[in-house]
Amino acid sequence: MTTNLNMTMLFNVSLAAYFCAMVCAVIGLMSRRRLFDWIANGLIVAGVSIQSVYIGMRWMEAGRAPFSNMFESLVLFGWTVSVVYLLLRFRTKIPWLAAASAALSALALAHASTYESAIRPLMPALQSNWLSFHVMTCFLGYGAFAISAVASIGFLISTRQNSTVQLETRQTLESIVAQTISFGFLFLTLGILTGAVWANSAWGTYWSWDPKETWSLITWLIYAAFLHFNFIRGWRGRRAAWISIIGFFSVLFTYYGVNFLLSGLHSYARS
Amino acid sequence: MSDSAEKNEPAKPVVGNPITRWLGSLVFALTVVLLLALACIAGTLIPQGSQVESYLSQPGGHQVIELLMTLGLTRVFYSWWFVGLLFALAASLMVCTGRRYRAISRATGAARLRVIGSFITHISLLLVLAGGVVRVIWGQKGVIQFREGQTVNSAESSEGVMPLPFEIRLTKFELEFHKKTATTNADQVDQLQVEWTAKHQLVQFPVVLNVERSVVAPDAPAGAPPAFKIRVLHYVPDFTVDAATGDVKSRSDTPNNPAVQVEAVGGGVTNTQWVFARFPDFGTHGGPDAAMPLTFRYYAVPSDEMGAQRDIKAFRSTVEVIEKGAVIRTQTIAVNSPFSWGGFTFYQTSYNPEDLTWSALQVVRDPGVPIVYAGFILMMAGLTMVFCVGPWLGGQRRTTGELS
Repeated sequence: MTTNLNMTMLFNVSLAAYFCAMVCAVIGLMSRRRLFDWIANGLIVAGVSIQSVYIGMRWMEAGRAPFSNMFESLVLFGWTVSVVYLLLRFRTKIPWLAAASAALSALALAHASTYESAIRPLMPALQSNWLSFHVMTCFLGYGAFAISAVASIGFLISTRQNSTVQLETRQTLESIVAQTISFGFLFLTLGILTGAVWANSAWGTYWSWDPKETWSLITWLIYAAFLHFNFIRGWRGRRAAWISIIGFFSVLFTYYGVNFLLSGLHSYARS
Repeated sequence: MSDSAEKNEPAKPVVGNPITRWLGSLVFALTVVLLLALACIAGTLIPQGSQVESYLSQPGGHQVIELLMTLGLTRVFYSWWFVGLLFALAASLMVCTGRRYRAISRATGAARLRVIGSFITHISLLLVLAGGVVRVIWGQKGVIQFREGQTVNSAESSEGVMPLPFEIRLTKFELEFHKKTATTNADQVDQLQVEWTAKHQLVQFPVVLNVERSVVAPDAPAGAPPAFKIRVLHYVPDFTVDAATGDVKSRSDTPNNPAVQVEAVGGGVTNTQWVFARFPDFGTHGGPDAAMPLTFRYYAVPSDEMGAQRDIKAFRSTVEVIEKGAVIRTQTIAVNSPFSWGGFTFYQTSYNPEDLTWSALQVVRDPGVPIVYAGFILMMAGLTMVFCVGPWLGGQRRTTGELS
């Protein structure tokens, strides 16, 4: 009982940290004071740290990786978005990106709280070491694609007529889009491949055109097209930003839409 | 498909014949990728295969499905045009791989690593596709359904009987359930209701084995000692009586006929009886007597389909491989723990909750798997070189067109 209370408290504190980070980042943007930017980033670091403890405790409590239902995957999604943002923060500094990633993480956790959080035993097919590897790699990819979509929206806004955003910021945003998609593509590929190996060990087929698998492939094809346009044709700017946004819609459908609209091997994930 | 970046590039010498130039062009590759993506979307949104039958009964469904079937959209992933698109992709990949091979010698430094990575990635995709072709041509897939003690030497497949070069016997099937956890909701715990028969007064307890519960008489003054002490001695999920010994036992681990043995001690009487969740009025085994003023009812928590799935911890079959009449191997097969023998791999796929001596195994022979797995390894190696090793060693981002 005490453990459950502690875990609920950690969940709520991490949600509060992300929300406060978003507010601080917005205030920093409006007031142009760097102090708020620092506080926002500190709060995101705190949110990620607390959430890491929460995930670790839940892992120990359940005796398995806590990535098996909608609640757990939303918690993981919120965590990966902020982790990818923090990794990016070492290289680039776009103040409003902190606000956007904190908002995404807070939104994911707030939405997770609408699902049942009780720890349930796993069905036999999910009792595999591949589960943690497969889900973790996929969600690192999703987190990177989320940041990429946010940066793409920022780029599209910054390149509108009469925009006062500096050229350097636009170039940084372009660079963020390409970098996060490269990172996300690598992890999405790893996620798809580990899922295929797991499926072969559980059901004797590495690919069965299950809706979730198929939509992962569609997402992979969209980002593969982006990378080819970007690497070979040098596509940058608004066209690249639009492909990135389309790709993230595909990610959202793969993650969320498929669970609720289509049935298949991943139907357990909707609960 | 043209863009400003392309216009600014210096003109490249035109090499190769027009067909390979067309197959190796980015326009062709991305057109195929776009068509594949659209086909995949259609394959998930349009009912496929057996799903089609459920649409036929709906108003207007017949005409729509007929049109979709004519267009080959109800078996998208197995249609000739989808397979054609995969071959077109393979052709494009082959030409691109050749180009990248030639580009390796031209590139230098970190860019060379990225070109090698890109070359390996394209080779890996070809391997995955080749593995799929091997599976389609030489692969076999079937299902074995048998009961404990039964021996088979073939599986059933969609093409008919799939013979096995050995016999396989199911010696044991086991179904294991998760124990109820502390996080289970209170309303999901079985309940025992105790009624003072003459007074119609009820009390209810959660069913926990060997925990003593006190029941006070309905007209007793406050602080009076309990009239009866109640304990649940045993629980069986599927009650039956052994015909030979007369002992109570469980027919299976599935709660088909859940029952609890309740002991009531009080008023100089000790009464022990079985109470059945599904047959509350049944006279019970070792039943009530006239001196017993209490009546018991047992409420077992019903489990829905998903609940039942979740509660199952594992199901496994122990099989013997028999060659020339001799048992040469005994192996337990469980979900996520297949068993390979003689080029065939056996996967635990199903069971029958009504008959726990029955098991279903999927039998697969897929010589393409090693090729596909080699493709997977090369794909990760190639992408790591493109996205991690190359940029890390190069320090700077790649220049446009270095991979073209």
